[in-house]
Amino acid sequence: MRDTSKAVPFVPAARAVFGLALDGMLWSRRSLVMALLLGIPVVIAIVFRVVVAAHVPADITGYKLYGVLVAMFWVRNALPLVALFYGTALIADEVEGKTLTYLVSRPVPRSAILTGKFAAYAATTLCLALPSMVLTFFILASTEGSTLAGSVPDLFRDLGVLALTLLVYGALFTLFGVLLRWPLILGLLFLFFWELIANLPGYMPRFTVTAWLRSLIGHRPPGRGMSELFGQVLPVGLSLGVVCALTVVFLGLAIWIFSRREYVLDQ
Amino acid sequence: MSTAPVVGAAPIEFVRASRWYGPVIALNDVTATVPPGVTGLLGPNGAGKSTFLKLAAGQFAPSQGEVRLLGRPAWGSPEVFHRVGFCPEPDAFWENLTGLQFLAGLLRLSGFEEAECRERALAALDTVALADAKDRKLGGYSKGMRQRAKIAQAIAHDPDVLLLDEPVSGLDPVNRRRVIDLVKKLGREGKTILVSSHILHEVEALTRRVLLIHNGRVLAEGDIREIRDLLDEHPHTVTLRSREPRALARAFVDAPHILTMSFAPDGEWLTVQTAKPDEFYGVLADHAIEAGVTEMYSPDEDLESVFKYLVAR
Repeated sequence: MRDTSKAVPFVPAARAVFGLALDGMLWSRRSLVMALLLGIPVVIAIVFRVVVAAHVPADITGYKLYGVLVAMFWVRNALPLVALFYGTALIADEVEGKTLTYLVSRPVPRSAILTGKFAAYAATTLCLALPSMVLTFFILASTEGSTLAGSVPDLFRDLGVLALTLLVYGALFTLFGVLLRWPLILGLLFLFFWELIANLPGYMPRFTVTAWLRSLIGHRPPGRGMSELFGQVLPVGLSLGVVCALTVVFLGLAIWIFSRREYVLDQ
Repeated sequence: MSTAPVVGAAPIEFVRASRWYGPVIALNDVTATVPPGVTGLLGPNGAGKSTFLKLAAGQFAPSQGEVRLLGRPAWGSPEVFHRVGFCPEPDAFWENLTGLQFLAGLLRLSGFEEAECRERALAALDTVALADAKDRKLGGYSKGMRQRAKIAQAIAHDPDVLLLDEPVSGLDPVNRRRVIDLVKKLGREGKTILVSSHILHEVEALTRRVLLIHNGRVLAEGDIREIRDLLDEHPHTVTLRSREPRALARAFVDAPHILTMSFAPDGEWLTVQTAKPDEFYGVLADHAIEAGVTEMYSPDEDLESVFKYLVAR
């Protein structure tokens, strides 16, 4: 029985928004472009396996290449970009499409609207990114034959890092989207200028998101050379705590601002 | 503190409410009460009708003064939306959803159980004659169908207060009649309905009680007949889209109330100027289906001139 004296409770309201948003988000042109971007490592893996592997020194293995792709492609570049394009558009799409009216004229708390949309974002991007990482892993790691089974736990850890990357950057760029006038441009500046300080020595990397995320990656290649691409490594437990805390803080702030902000839809 | 709507309060109440966007004043020191029944919110384009409705619908807060909906502040009281339906003016949808998914999704947001969502969505689609198109994507709906889908989402949860922004804009004569009958029926059932329009004749078909708004101010509220008398001095312009515009023109050509008729170069649009809108719409109803009339608009120059007259008085 509906209680019409109160707003619809948070969880069912967020679930309803999730249901409305998911289909449109998943089957969109944006998702097609992002799927192509996230498919690049699969193509690289196939090319390596079929063409390149036989012509490179024995110490450059498919598994090492996979490690580089995790750190340099997914965690550092592709997933933050995916989060940027979806996160900044979560509310902006509704405002530009003038459909926000339908959501804010229902008896639901505004916090549930943004939470439901964020959940749809998380589901969509995980659906796009997870298969790409799993496929790449099996194509590249299977060149090592006997080490494949031993590497599978690393895959699960990487999938966890992938999910955390999407969540923390998604929350950050959702905050940009509800707070800033030009969130996409400022998001790009953040990703490709501010985040570079993760490669500096000292305490500076702690003021970036990427330094905490890369510290969570488990199968760092041994020795010099490739390992230097990963930069300074912070304690794993601390990194996990910081990434989770940042996600909660960014999303909490975004919800707080969205709940109080007026959106005047131009006629 | 109870969050329930206040029993016995006026359904919609503006108390010295103003709203501005930067330096632009959209609504200026408005005090008005909307009682149960149908009330027309009448004014030319840019008069402040949409701002009035959006303030009433809690889409944003007044810059000054108060706007109350069922006794609660319209802004920041989501619980009142159990009892409020809002049909916005923009032609905006989640295009990938079907009509049924759109309505059922919004009903879930109103707190209904899954089975009831479907049942209510189907009933609302049936009310606006969209039952046959329930499984078609909204992106494939015609303009008139989309307009009706917006009305369906506003009425599906059986609200006590309905806020309709230009609800018959773009509808063909048959569906225009259907929507007008529906609004009148809901008004007779005791619901509070505020309908905005820039077309006097449209509002007149719905109700005799109007709020006249111009340049962000409420000029007058009361019986529409006084305004109607003024309009007789001004020709009423109607633009129609038809499969057979020339056949339609032939039906009007001998009518003494027709002042001018003109065809658009694309051969689909006919613009008619009439001195007697009632008689015109009567003749139109007889020929609309046969001539394949699909869309109908009325520019507001005629109403603008009435407002100029009113302001000058």
